Amino acid sequence: MATDKSPRTPEIERLLRRRDFIRKATTGTVLAGLAGGLYVLDDVLTGEAKAESRADGRPRVPPGQRVLRQLKPMGGTPGSPNPSDFSLTIHGEVERPLTLDFAGLLRSDNVELAVDVHCVTGWSVLGARFKGVRVRDLAERVGVKDSARHVIFEGAHGYTANVRLDEALAPDVLVAHRLDGRALARPHGAPVRAVVPSLYFWKSPKWLTGIKFVRRDEPGYWETRGYNNHADPWLEERYA
Amino acid sequence: MPEGRRLRWRPWLRALHRDLGYTAVGLTVIYALSGLAVNHIEDWDPNFDNYEAVHQLGGPIAGDDAAVARRVLDALAIDEAPADVFRVDTDEVQVLLGDATLHVRTDSGEVREEGQRPRFLLRVANWLHLNRGKKAWTTIADAYAIGLLTLAVSGVFMLPGRRGILGRGALFVLAGAAIPVLYVTLSGGP
Repeated sequence: MATDKSPRTPEIERLLRRRDFIRKATTGTVLAGLAGGLYVLDDVLTGEAKAESRADGRPRVPPGQRVLRQLKPMGGTPGSPNPSDFSLTIHGEVERPLTLDFAGLLRSDNVELAVDVHCVTGWSVLGARFKGVRVRDLAERVGVKDSARHVIFEGAHGYTANVRLDEALAPDVLVAHRLDGRALARPHGAPVRAVVPSLYFWKSPKWLTGIKFVRRDEPGYWETRGYNNHADPWLEERYA
Repeated sequence: MPEGRRLRWRPWLRALHRDLGYTAVGLTVIYALSGLAVNHIEDWDPNFDNYEAVHQLGGPIAGDDAAVARRVLDALAIDEAPADVFRVDTDEVQVLLGDATLHVRTDSGEVREEGQRPRFLLRVANWLHLNRGKKAWTTIADAYAIGLLTLAVSGVFMLPGRRGILGRGALFVLAGAAIPVLYVTLSGGP
């Protein structure tokens, strides 16, 4: 048996439902608009940067990249973040193999450089200020043999990344322990990571443990999993 | 050949498909959840919830590294022995805890807490999916992959269509196979 317990007529009910729908739809539209606006604002950042050129004549933003304001944590199996556990072994085709602890790294000639970094997943951060020791300076200390052709950066848990010798000895390649004035954060490889700005960022291992100079190339963790062996962002060398 | 004899293999195939499907549920949930999480790694950290907080301890903190660490831990009511205490600069001491680092400015008393909380389930699912542990998991993952292949192939032949495998099923199989082919073709591939 149907009883009318509500004082509202079906017409009022219909209007209320309509009003509720309009309210929810408006809220959804505004939120989507705000999110879209933020995305567009970020794209303005990319657009402005794309108009710039580097000293070598290449565009500042490599093709297929979107500029972000700060690094994103991209995973990996973390090593120990404790500075006391840190040990960097520089070995391979060198005259005087060297092991540096964290205090030793701090005592070395440190530089702070603003560099652009580019992740293979499509984001870039421009002018990230990394502080650390130039790989070139470390290479001078250990005396790299003429036979060396490649550098293998070694990270925690067996992660490796291979870089050509000339690219690893570029003046902006660092063993870094600070980013933007702060100690390196855990998601970015604390206490120490490599920074190789001219190549996609997987070539810059976090939780760095070693630098090995080798005669023959040794494709690293991602290079043996389908990623490009060289990884030049301007040539979009993402995959093999 | 009598029709009954011809069709006898289908019940066995259906039974295999069903039981293999049941067995695959747990692993499929792990791999699917992790796949969704890792697929969007450029948007978020699929393993950790990263956080940062700044605390003011109200003025310079004197003493050696151990005294600084003790003072900070007491002030923040942290009941955990530090894994490491390290002076990285004249006025900066790092206090390392299990899931967090306290960056202490001894000249101002400012403490920046930077930490990571492992994401529930996803941390483990990603570890399994990416086979970070290696060892026996490689064998399990291989067996699962072979199981999925078996499920896919057995699924095609499980039910007899009116036109055999050339009917509706074939259209869907072709449509599914066309997705990666079209994507690679249109995107230019690797």
